[in-house]
Amino acid sequence: MNPQEEKVKIITEEFVENDEDADVGRQKTSRVQRRKRKKQLPTAGPDEMVSEKSHLGDQQEPGHEDPNADARPLSMPTRRGPRSLPPIPSASRTGFAEFSMRERMREKLQAARSKAESALLQEIPTPRPRRLRSPSEKELETEFGTEPGGKIQTTQQEDDSQSYSRVKFRDSVRKIKSKTPVPPGFPSAEEAYNFFTFNFDPEPEESEEKPKAKNRDGANQEEGEGEEEEAPVPEGIDKTDEEELLDDKDAVDFLLGLDRGAEDIVAVRPADYESVHIRLQKEKELLFIPSRRTVPTYKKLPENVQPRFLEDEGLYIGARLEVPRTNQNIMENRLLMQEPVSAQPLLPSGAPEQLREGRRWFGDDGRILALPNPIKPFPSRPLVLSQEQDIKAELETLYKKAVKYVHRSQHMIGSGDPPGNFQLDIDISGLIFTHHPCFSREHVLAAKLAQLYDQYLARRQRNKAKFLTDKLQALRNAVQMSLNPAKTPKSLDTTRRAINEYKSEIRQTRKLRDIEQEKDRTLLKTIIKVWKEMKSLREFQRFTNTPLKLVLRKEKVDQKADEEAYEAEVQAEISELLEEHREEYEQRMDEYRSAHQQWKAWKKAQRTKKKKKKQGVEEHPDDEMEEPYPGEDPVKPVPPEPTNQAVIEQEVRERAAQSRRRPGEPMLVPELSLAGSVTPNDQCPRVEVLRREDVKRRSVYLKVLFNDKEVSRTNSRPLGADFRVHFGQIFNLQIVNWPESLTLQVYETVGHSGTTLLAEVFLPIPETTVVTGRAPLEEVEFSSNQHVTLDHEGVGSGVPFSFEADGSNQLTLMTSGKVSNSVSWAIGENGIPLIPPLSQQNIGFRSALKRADAISSIGTSGLTDMKKLAKWAAESKLDPNDPNNAPLMQLILVATSGESYVPDFFRLEQLQQEFNFVSDEELNRSKRFRLLRLRSQEVPEFRNYKQIPVYDREIMEKVFQDYEKRLRDRNVIETKDHIDTHRAIVAKYLQQVRESVINRFLIAKHHFLLADLIVEEEVPNISILGLRLFKLAEQKRPLRPRRKGRKKVTAQNLSDGDIKLLVNIIRAYDIPVRKPITSKFQQPPRSSRTFSEKQAASPTTHSPTHSADYPLSQVLVRPFVEVSFQRTICHTTTADGPNPSWNEELELPFRAPNGNYSTTSLQSVKDDVFINIFDEVLYDVLEDDRERASGIHTRIERHWLGCVKIPFSTIYFQAKIDGTFKIDTPPVLLGYSKEQSVVAERGFDPVRSLSEGSYITLFITMEPQLVPGESVREKFDSQEDEKLLQATEKFQAECALKFPNRQCLTTVIDISGKTVFITRYLKPLNPPQELLNAYPNNPQATAELVARYVSLIPFLPDTVSFAGICDLWSTSDQFLDLLAGDEEEHAVLLCNYFLSLGKKAWLMMGNAIPEGPTAYVLTREQSHYLIWNPCSGHFYGQFDTFCPLKSVGCLIGPDNIWFNIQRHDSPLRINFDITKPKLWKSFFSRSLPYPGLSSVQPEELIYQRTDKAAAAELQDRIEKILKEKIMDWRPRHLTRWNRYCTSTLRHFLPLLERSQGEDVEDDHRAELLKQLGDYRFSGFPLHMPYSELKPLIEAVYSTGVHNIDVPNVEFALAVYIHPYPKNVLSVWIYVASLIRNR
Amino acid sequence: MAEVHVIGQILGATGFSESSLFCKWGIHTGAAWKLLSGVREGQTQVDTPQVGDMAYWSHPIDLHFATKGLQGWPRLHLQVWSQDSFGRCQLAGYGFCHVPSSPGTHQLDCPTWRPLGSWREQLARAFVGGGPQLLHGDAIYSGADRYRLHTAAGGTVHLELGLLLRHFDRYGVEC
Repeated sequence: MNPQEEKVKIITEEFVENDEDADVGRQKTSRVQRRKRKKQLPTAGPDEMVSEKSHLGDQQEPGHEDPNADARPLSMPTRRGPRSLPPIPSASRTGFAEFSMRERMREKLQAARSKAESALLQEIPTPRPRRLRSPSEKELETEFGTEPGGKIQTTQQEDDSQSYSRVKFRDSVRKIKSKTPVPPGFPSAEEAYNFFTFNFDPEPEESEEKPKAKNRDGANQEEGEGEEEEAPVPEGIDKTDEEELLDDKDAVDFLLGLDRGAEDIVAVRPADYESVHIRLQKEKELLFIPSRRTVPTYKKLPENVQPRFLEDEGLYIGARLEVPRTNQNIMENRLLMQEPVSAQPLLPSGAPEQLREGRRWFGDDGRILALPNPIKPFPSRPLVLSQEQDIKAELETLYKKAVKYVHRSQHMIGSGDPPGNFQLDIDISGLIFTHHPCFSREHVLAAKLAQLYDQYLARRQRNKAKFLTDKLQALRNAVQMSLNPAKTPKSLDTTRRAINEYKSEIRQTRKLRDIEQEKDRTLLKTIIKVWKEMKSLREFQRFTNTPLKLVLRKEKVDQKADEEAYEAEVQAEISELLEEHREEYEQRMDEYRSAHQQWKAWKKAQRTKKKKKKQGVEEHPDDEMEEPYPGEDPVKPVPPEPTNQAVIEQEVRERAAQSRRRPGEPMLVPELSLAGSVTPNDQCPRVEVLRREDVKRRSVYLKVLFNDKEVSRTNSRPLGADFRVHFGQIFNLQIVNWPESLTLQVYETVGHSGTTLLAEVFLPIPETTVVTGRAPLEEVEFSSNQHVTLDHEGVGSGVPFSFEADGSNQLTLMTSGKVSNSVSWAIGENGIPLIPPLSQQNIGFRSALKRADAISSIGTSGLTDMKKLAKWAAESKLDPNDPNNAPLMQLILVATSGESYVPDFFRLEQLQQEFNFVSDEELNRSKRFRLLRLRSQEVPEFRNYKQIPVYDREIMEKVFQDYEKRLRDRNVIETKDHIDTHRAIVAKYLQQVRESVINRFLIAKHHFLLADLIVEEEVPNISILGLRLFKLAEQKRPLRPRRKGRKKVTAQNLSDGDIKLLVNIIRAYDIPVRKPITSKFQQPPRSSRTFSEKQAASPTTHSPTHSADYPLSQVLVRPFVEVSFQRTICHTTTADGPNPSWNEELELPFRAPNGNYSTTSLQSVKDDVFINIFDEVLYDVLEDDRERASGIHTRIERHWLGCVKIPFSTIYFQAKIDGTFKIDTPPVLLGYSKEQSVVAERGFDPVRSLSEGSYITLFITMEPQLVPGESVREKFDSQEDEKLLQATEKFQAECALKFPNRQCLTTVIDISGKTVFITRYLKPLNPPQELLNAYPNNPQATAELVARYVSLIPFLPDTVSFAGICDLWSTSDQFLDLLAGDEEEHAVLLCNYFLSLGKKAWLMMGNAIPEGPTAYVLTREQSHYLIWNPCSGHFYGQFDTFCPLKSVGCLIGPDNIWFNIQRHDSPLRINFDITKPKLWKSFFSRSLPYPGLSSVQPEELIYQRTDKAAAAELQDRIEKILKEKIMDWRPRHLTRWNRYCTSTLRHFLPLLERSQGEDVEDDHRAELLKQLGDYRFSGFPLHMPYSELKPLIEAVYSTGVHNIDVPNVEFALAVYIHPYPKNVLSVWIYVASLIRNR
Repeated sequence: MAEVHVIGQILGATGFSESSLFCKWGIHTGAAWKLLSGVREGQTQVDTPQVGDMAYWSHPIDLHFATKGLQGWPRLHLQVWSQDSFGRCQLAGYGFCHVPSSPGTHQLDCPTWRPLGSWREQLARAFVGGGPQLLHGDAIYSGADRYRLHTAAGGTVHLELGLLLRHFDRYGVEC
């Protein structure tokens, strides 16, 4: 029990006593306060309660109010009560409600109401208990009494303040409560109550309860009220009690004289109540309840109308909705009754009208009109989803494990899931030869025997004869039975028919049985015969080869029974036959009779006719015509012969004897065993031993071909003496596609010689139901058509042989055999067969459910298949009358009748055509759309279109011209641009390769790594932080410049003009100098003396003639440099002397093609930077000497001295180019020489003078610096061994760790995009024989010639052809075919040539200028190493300072790779002895030996001789084009051609080719001088490999020959093409300008 | 010859029980439609919401269509995937919605669903991840009788699409 509660009680009781004498007037205020207090404190802590009480108690006045105060704590818990369940007693209380007392109480209540009202108004705010409990419950509740509940109630109270009755009851409760603690004070009410309850509720439980607790009355009362709220019905009953109680309360109130005012306001009223009877009465008045009785039909139909049943008349009526009969009746009644009422105001015309109105709802059959049942008979959602097969294919779900996301190059939605792996298991268990060339004769027989025996066994197992005999027996019995009328009480007719059927069947069966029996017997006979042959053969050859042995087991039979059975059988047959014959006879007789009758009639008619004819031949000559018409006279029928029993019997017996075992003859059961012994080898004749040995040497294996591709093969197994091979191998084929074919190839190996394909066995592709474990082993036969003749006992194959001694009766057998195998689908780990889905395969079984819906049943596609549809309609028993099915039925009708046109196409999107805005053609014609699409497809022509016009009309037609032309010409080889057809083809091919490669890498390029997308600053670690800190403390050293990295610019935010090419020309060495003119022809009159000559010479001598005489007085050269790039030209100032120093920076703008500065576009820029060195020559053109004093009139001419060509791509990838380059000077430079300079400077720089040629120091870079595109990171698939690939990775990683800057190459990508190990490219390859024949005795010269040949193949960097993708290595034959390639290809080819020449040669990977990372070739001569530049054909000694190769990364030989691990990498400072492991780290070593990799190069290179005529033609065309170009370049001047000079030059060019441009200068000059004495001549030959016309034009342009604008200048231009094998062309162009000396 | 520009973004997703979400999306059109430029399908990044439960992708969609008919109006189909702490991906919902047909900016909410599978599969999904997926993705946007499928509701994908129509009035389509 709750002690707190008790405490509270006690305290309150104390107060009650104290309050008695307290002031009454303050009561009101105290109440209000209390209420407020309650809101705050309610926690129901006892202490607070106490305090509250005490507080209240102070203010409370005594009188009757103290009971209230007392009751409050008790009522509080009750207030919290509502959460608990309502107590039961209320029900019991209704029991003792007293009806008789009602009146009296009401009166009292009325009287008390006015008083109570005034009193209660003040009490409105007090909490209102909803429900009360028995005291014990109350006390319990205090325990968990919570404030929120109380709060709610307090608020509720306010709301409810108007509800007087409640308040009133609450008040009453309080009063009762107040009374209960002092029971003796007011006994009357309680006693009355008890009295009444006792009297009227005699229940013992009640009687016990009631007296027990007084205050429970109040509780009950409250409950009553609570119930009142919920259920109004017992209200009245409750009221009685309350009235009674109020009575008591009134008394109290009255006694105490309290709260009169309140009572005036509040009126107590009973709840309105209507008794059930009254209500029913009222309802009856208001409501209409239709009767449930069946309405007679006549009421529902118009008068005198019989109900019509449409269904009986054949009309379609849908299934009616199932409605209970009573409901229908109610409805019908209602309709009949109600309709007139509602229609009354509308239709006053009278009852018949009303009735009609009512009948409108009824059909002709007198039933309510109803729509067909809309409810489908089956649930549209299957209850259980377990029927997997019900799920349609497109809704199939598959449980997928959560798997890590593998980054693939393509991740596309829709394309969905990668096709699963499917597996086909092929079990090859063995192979049996039924014939083999090595078969001896005995084997042939044995095979035959075995075959026959197999057949026998199979037949015996089936035992068809027995089965047929039994059947025959059964049929006979049946006939017997049916013939017995007693047992078959059927109609005679059916019996006869049945008998007839039986009989015909008997006949059939007998025939079949006879055949089977005969077969059995002949088989047995054959077996025995073969066995006998075999025995005789064995005897004859005196050895046995096969262990076969046939045993004939005789089974004794009971002779007598056997005979009886035999006889009975024969008899039965005879009787049957007889019967048949008799029937037949009768039939024939019938026929005969009818025929006879006919014949007779005819005869008769004939006779009469004849008579007639005789009479009227004359009158009717026409009749004669008729005469033959009746035609063939019916032959007089012959009566059939009756059957002869004896004959039949004879026949039957004969047949029986033939096909059946004779009675008494023992049953023969052959048994074949392998028990026989084979004669050992030593007892056999030699031929047989040979044969056996031959067999031993043979082995067999099978190849498994899937879709005509070999997927695996079995082990090779030796052929056994019994010609059986056991494999027992299972191949699991992981497949992706549905198999098309499955083939086994039988291969035979004889000894160590090659294998021969014996036969192909085609295996059937298994059904999808055949899964592993369920597939039976099947034997598939094969045979081969090979012809084999052997020189031993073996009979061979396809060769006739004979068993007879005389060779007659020849037999030809082909190799044949059987493969026992099984093919089945594997089962996945979850039991799903791994079968690829096949659309045709989806015809699974259909559930009955599907039958209801056509589409779900046969699928949408089925709808077009009329046959299917019709079949389905028939199956599902469609109601043809159902209007819903009408279109379907019509369709089916049309389709099945085949009368009307059924479209044989399937339209995917119906009504598309009809709703199209425009036709397809129009859509495709839209230029705007086309342009947009082409742009988004990144078609080169449109890739960089920035904006596309909004309207079609704004787009010019010519926009597409180029593109269309290109498309058109894709397959047409254009010879105009290329002149040479081969190169045109190659260019096309290259273009195609390029396109395909680009397409392949397109996706890969869009594949980003995290680092590409996210720039993440590295978190500084402690060491970096430390360094930074140190730097802070570092001393400032302003004079020490620090290098700052330039900012790199990404391509996208660039536009034209942003990028500049900076060329810093520093200095040049050994520029050729002008030669003093010695010839007398050249001895100029004053005008021809060069101005500079004079100037230069003046310090030393005043006369030019002097200078010529004086060798040391150097004629100077005034060189300047002109840089041209993209037709922009810049030049430096002029410097003096052969070793000028300019130190000038030139700035050239760069324009990307189409304004596209993307990486790919920049990479594919093919432009070159031309750095030309000119000599500036000043000519004095003053006509008159007299004017010399007053004016200077000179003309500046410039003479080309040489050039350096650097491809833009090199600059782009290198970011900067810095170094000294050799100037490419023409072999002949008329008027200039170098010797002098050598003489002059020998003393100063001996090293430089060693080399020939001029040099220039340059620094080239881009501003701003561009980010070169990165090569593709994609891993390429490879056919290399996985181990090897791992080793390469390891090797490269190790090398990169030690020397990150040195190039280390192990694998490269070939032209098809596969990774190939690099050494596979190196292999001795024959150079053209022509080159070898040139210098047969001089290996060095040959080598040089070969190098020259290689250098003549045009250079085309991969980066240009395969923009930004990667370095593709083509093999040498591809390279020669393409006639284009970069350093690697050249180097590989040169290295291969050198290897074939017997040199020691390596591919050298390193850095060179200007190429950057490149490939050179290193050869080892007797004592030294030579470094070859494959692209130029030059070679350098190891210690040549001018060798362009600056560092060496690794050496690659045909069988190994050596990485340079020396401290230095400059070729000058390293040791090329690769045998020293300390200097060179080799890839293949002892731990990883060279596996002997095969080469990817061809066996041999085949060279076609180049067509000389074609070369000559090309030569002419080039010359013509160049001349035109030069004329074009001089638009303002007249261009004259000096033919004489041209022809001279033309003669001279072949000489140059022969001598490779060396040592011809002097002769040449002499000759020229001789011929062109009057001219001042300046010109030079250019030499280039031929690839295209454009580079030639560019080269000629860059020399600037055309720039001479002397009025009387003449030009000479000669072209010579020297053809080398394989269409390698060496082009010489001699350009010259001539100025006539006056 | 009418043109439609669909420009907008896949904002994100809410209401998925999984946290790290990404979305594969694609646009499916009828035969009358021609894509002039833009990417038809794609995949968003994986977003792990830090605040709130909305995964933001803000994945741009920019397509330009030409059409010769109204049939096969473009519809977006979405697959929301979730990535668990092991980096494994599993399906969180399929969804589809038509591209709005009136010009202007549209806020789209695309509710998603995923196949429920058998109780075994549900159990497996709850414990080891993975889950049943449609074998044929086109069921997402095709009206094939899906009533055989038992699905569970996923969250909602929010899209913001702007539409520009051109020349529709020329063919009698008023918009």
